[in-house]
Amino acid sequence: MAVTPRKTGWLQGNGWLLVLLALLILFPFIVGALTDSSPYGVARGDRMIMRGESVRWQSVLIEVYILAILTMSYNLLFGFTGVISFGHALFFGTASYLFGLALEFTEMDTGLAIVVGAVAAIVVCGLLGLLIGLVTLRLKGVYFAIFTLAVAEMFFIFLGRWQLTRAEDGFAITDLPAWLDPTQSRLSFYYLALVLAVLTFLFIRRLVNSPTGAVFQAIRENEDRAQSLGYNTLNYKLFSIVIAGMLAGVAGLLQVMLNKKVGPELLSVGYTVDPLLMTIIGGVGTLGGPIIGAAGLHLLDVFFRDRELVLGSMTIDIANIWALLLGVIFILAVIVFPYGVIGTWRRWQARALRKR
Amino acid sequence: MARTNRSSLIAILVIIGGLIAVAFVNSNSLGNFGITLLSGLFQGMLLFLVASGLSIVFGLMDVLNFAQGAYFMVGAYVAYDAQHAGGLIDLTQAIPDPNLRFPVAVILAVIVGALLGVILERGLLRPLYARPVFQLVLTFGVALVMAEIIKFIWTTTPYSWTEVFGVRESFFELFGQRFSTYRLFVVGMGIVLIILIALLLRRSRIGIIIRAGVEDREMVQSLGINVQTVFTLVFTLGCAIAALGGAVAAPFLGASTTIGDIFLLQAIAVVVLGGMGSYEGTAIGSVMVGLAVAVAQDAAIGTSFAALPSITPMLLLILVLLLRPSGLFGNAR
Repeated sequence: MAVTPRKTGWLQGNGWLLVLLALLILFPFIVGALTDSSPYGVARGDRMIMRGESVRWQSVLIEVYILAILTMSYNLLFGFTGVISFGHALFFGTASYLFGLALEFTEMDTGLAIVVGAVAAIVVCGLLGLLIGLVTLRLKGVYFAIFTLAVAEMFFIFLGRWQLTRAEDGFAITDLPAWLDPTQSRLSFYYLALVLAVLTFLFIRRLVNSPTGAVFQAIRENEDRAQSLGYNTLNYKLFSIVIAGMLAGVAGLLQVMLNKKVGPELLSVGYTVDPLLMTIIGGVGTLGGPIIGAAGLHLLDVFFRDRELVLGSMTIDIANIWALLLGVIFILAVIVFPYGVIGTWRRWQARALRKR
Repeated sequence: MARTNRSSLIAILVIIGGLIAVAFVNSNSLGNFGITLLSGLFQGMLLFLVASGLSIVFGLMDVLNFAQGAYFMVGAYVAYDAQHAGGLIDLTQAIPDPNLRFPVAVILAVIVGALLGVILERGLLRPLYARPVFQLVLTFGVALVMAEIIKFIWTTTPYSWTEVFGVRESFFELFGQRFSTYRLFVVGMGIVLIILIALLLRRSRIGIIIRAGVEDREMVQSLGINVQTVFTLVFTLGCAIAALGGAVAAPFLGASTTIGDIFLLQAIAVVVLGGMGSYEGTAIGSVMVGLAVAVAQDAAIGTSFAALPSITPMLLLILVLLLRPSGLFGNAR
């Protein structure tokens, strides 16, 4: 798909985006005003207790931002470069473990540990992607899928039994500075997550619309042809996986700070399935798709989690069958809804234009 | 061609020889050495049952069936349920003798696996032949759904085999150690299956079609052979064999929701190190990984490396890929 340069001004082209961004910036205050709760939490003595509707909804949206970053990074690889990974949780979890180790298991000063941990986590995620890519990307595409799955599962099993990090229980993060600690100042963490999500979006949009991004998409459409045009497709694929791994690492860092806990579940297959499914539902290879997918599925999850399904005399907790429902949505999406929300909408538009 | 064959043969001999040597050095008596070997072969045969379907289906259809581990799990649950009293299928009244009930339970597991295989191939994969990436994604989703359905039916609590019957408990003595006859029986059955499938692939008409399909699917189709039917047959066979693996593994390993993932992971290592789509590679790779895991289990006893056996297949895979990037018998490009 050729990207036609727009003649309109930057502001006009990004109008809907800016409106959405403004809404998200004001969101904690809007919810606060509507439900009569403070976006800063409730004051008790000199501490703030994170209670109230506004604070609760902030954490829901923070989770959406984290998933959106993870899904956008997945989509860069799967949707734009056509490389499928079944172990994206590997990057997510590795970053969180490295960050946690730097904070809890080294003697460094907290501020230094955060910087070192975050930088090390993101660099290692990139290196991990580079390594897996170097081994497998010369071979058929399926090798990369297998390898990422296998390495992720191996790390998952290993960390589940590693005594230093308390095996399956994982360990808690205790010394985050107050401005970064979501249990003390949720609002500042909300803006941090929002800023990172927006930066990721802008970065991926810039990348995809650049000449490099055009080569990514050429590889997705037909790698042999891209190669015969003289592009070293291996290097481009490696670049894509390194960037995607690093961005997934950023999402992992945020997740650790939000839950203040590191455990093997961060490497579980769920964090691979989520971005995969969210990409497909939102629209594979579209810029907005991952965000729509992440927001839609996560909000559905939050909405349905505490509800019950009444089937005649049987009542079933939706929380118990949520994974099953997700799986069924997964299969249905792949078979009947493969273009996702944005892709399907574009097809409709194109058809409507043709009719006119 | 001859050169590459020779180098992979050398690699195989070195690795298997090395594993056996490590097992020998590590065990303090001939009996213990024998037990490690038998345990390795037992695990290798179970692995072969998962990996063979994975490999043949991939070679023929270019679909990597990530749900193969889930079929193994289904086989284990069905066999467990049929053998024990108080499950969904209660056979204790119909067949009171547990020794007779066990083969029936295994056959039942194979039938269920085959039926689920037909449903997956005909119902879900067939519409997607134009979009191969989505087939991969779909089998991944099917694996999740099958695991969730099993949790829904049999809850998440793992079952350990409690039924005591002659076939499982019997043993013979050699070098002052007790060897389980059941394990030997499974190893024997695995060897018979390896030979049977090899004969099917080499000597029968359907086998010739399968091998031709691996080489060039479109050419086979243009010769007027219905490749779709062959696809369904091979896919179903793969799923049924995986279910068989789960069923014969259940008396030792029980039935749990993680059992499928563990075997899928090891089977993936087998298929890749043997060379994708290569039958000989899968058979030899299974034995290799099985032995390596048994040796690692032996070595890990009493040390702090409790996770060693579970990452051994991956370590072996990395070693082989460094020696031969496309696997022992593979042509990956």
